[in-house]
Amino acid sequence: MADNYTGPLERIDSTRWRIPKSYKLGMRVDGVIYADDKLIDAIKGDKSPEQVANVACLPGIVKYSLAMPDIHWGYGFCIGGVAATDPQKGGVISPGGVGYDINCGVRLIRTNIKLTDAKVQMGKLVEEMFNTVPCGVGRGGVVKFSKPELRKLMAEGSRFVVKRGFGWDSDIEATEAHGCISDADPDSLSDRALSRGSDQCGTLGSGNHFMEIQVVERIDDAKAAGAMGLVEGNLTVMIHSGSRGLGYQVCEDALKDLQHTPRKYGIELPDKQLVCAPVDSPEGQSYLGAMRAAANFAWCNRQIMTHLAREAFSNIFGLPAEKLGMTLVYDVAHNIAKMEPYEVDGKTCQLCVHRKGATRAFPPGHPELPERYRGIGQPVLVPGDMGRASYVLTGQPGSMEHTFGSSCHGAGRRMSRGAAIRASRGRSIKKELADRGVIARARGRTGLEEEQPDAYKDVNQVVDVLHAAAISHRVARLRPVGVIKG
Amino acid sequence: MAELLMPAAEGLYAAIGELVAASEASLQHFDFQGDDPSILLRDFLTELLILFERDQRRLVEVVDAAFVESRLTVKAKTAPVELERSAFHREVKAITYHELSIREGPGGYEATFIVDI
Repeated sequence: MADNYTGPLERIDSTRWRIPKSYKLGMRVDGVIYADDKLIDAIKGDKSPEQVANVACLPGIVKYSLAMPDIHWGYGFCIGGVAATDPQKGGVISPGGVGYDINCGVRLIRTNIKLTDAKVQMGKLVEEMFNTVPCGVGRGGVVKFSKPELRKLMAEGSRFVVKRGFGWDSDIEATEAHGCISDADPDSLSDRALSRGSDQCGTLGSGNHFMEIQVVERIDDAKAAGAMGLVEGNLTVMIHSGSRGLGYQVCEDALKDLQHTPRKYGIELPDKQLVCAPVDSPEGQSYLGAMRAAANFAWCNRQIMTHLAREAFSNIFGLPAEKLGMTLVYDVAHNIAKMEPYEVDGKTCQLCVHRKGATRAFPPGHPELPERYRGIGQPVLVPGDMGRASYVLTGQPGSMEHTFGSSCHGAGRRMSRGAAIRASRGRSIKKELADRGVIARARGRTGLEEEQPDAYKDVNQVVDVLHAAAISHRVARLRPVGVIKG
Repeated sequence: MAELLMPAAEGLYAAIGELVAASEASLQHFDFQGDDPSILLRDFLTELLILFERDQRRLVEVVDAAFVESRLTVKAKTAPVELERSAFHREVKAITYHELSIREGPGGYEATFIVDI
């Protein structure tokens, strides 16, 4: 999987590269990768462009198989991939186009707290967050749900946990899809999925999941930053997690159930990890129902952690979270498949948009956006790495025209975990981060090494490409000051 | 196939961390159906992953295993993981189908499986 890509990449313009559909038998559309000259060299370093070409073979795919500049190799689909399929034309849904961590996503909470006023307490704050938010392997949540409660939670989404005191009503409006995709089918989940999820709602997990305390370092768009409540020099909290074991099991069950489905529907695939079913088939609908349930679980997971983060801040600063101004800026999914309307050949079609490591980026005026963001576009949250920066962007009209309302989701790995650990020998990543002004706490022994800043591409480059392509615009740059890892 | 079960389990556990087993082991039976031995191995490892995640137990010994007529049966000892004495590196989400294979090498059978973390 680490082999280089040697197939064609034709320059379209300064931010886009084409893999022509003539490259491979079975490609129904071109592949298009967003990247500049520097990033494209790194992208060719693994087989992810080949995966873009493979996805272009899926039945019913519309316009092109897309990849964002943070593209890297993934399971079946590349990470950073976007593909829209038309159910009216035999379009399929593929669990590999969502990934194991269904509705892995990011949320951002703003505060009124100035970094300059909080520097003395920062060590204590990180420690409090580390102890308050369950993280790492095998850590159960502060709340356990019975199976009937879990089913209700997955049907109602964020509202279910907010009603139980884990958050504010305003959080719901600031969450993609209001934290609940309709037509979820919690009854279709296996007992195993439910048991894996029963004590994991409100837990961070491990791997690349994190909770960060950040400072707004730079504002690029004052109007949009104002609408989001972002103030230069103030602290923010970013949470990155997903649907935990419950979502992994939904994917696992679907991959097993769908093994023979492509043959049943006469679908030929270049890679068996792209197993899929027509969106309108019983198999496709079954997966979509389960995936939506897992997505709603993930929103509840991040919602409970938001509540815990507010508690931690409140404990340290001695004020209620409301007084600290800890409102939710936004919550976005970056591993999901959703039915969305797009104009294709002059007609509005409901397409099944797969975003795997890609963030929804709706432009100003989109009816799905909350009122306060209608004039600026949807906040797009792009975590970078724990040493450099993360970004807040807004969706722009170009996203609807070119990327099915999608943008990037992060910096994208450039080193494997093994390579990152090897590169850490003889170094203390914790100390290096401290030298940069970042206090880090990790539960796992190798978490900081595997996730060190050098393991990631430069998020500035990734964001620059999409800004230049008018897909999403820069609003603010956030610098980490405290990191909690599983 | 049988000889691969314990080394493959150790590979999975190495991805998670250093899992120290308590002394009180108990016998457990596993049963899988399918024609492809590599998928059966994956299914076995998936059971071990769930066993760890849900019950904090790990495999300590394969007592007996047979792969006959598209059926893998395993009798094995499992024991609780001593959480205080163990070290955890990372969570494994799943054992994927990617590059999944079993082949005969010079030193015996070899298996490749990739975990999603």
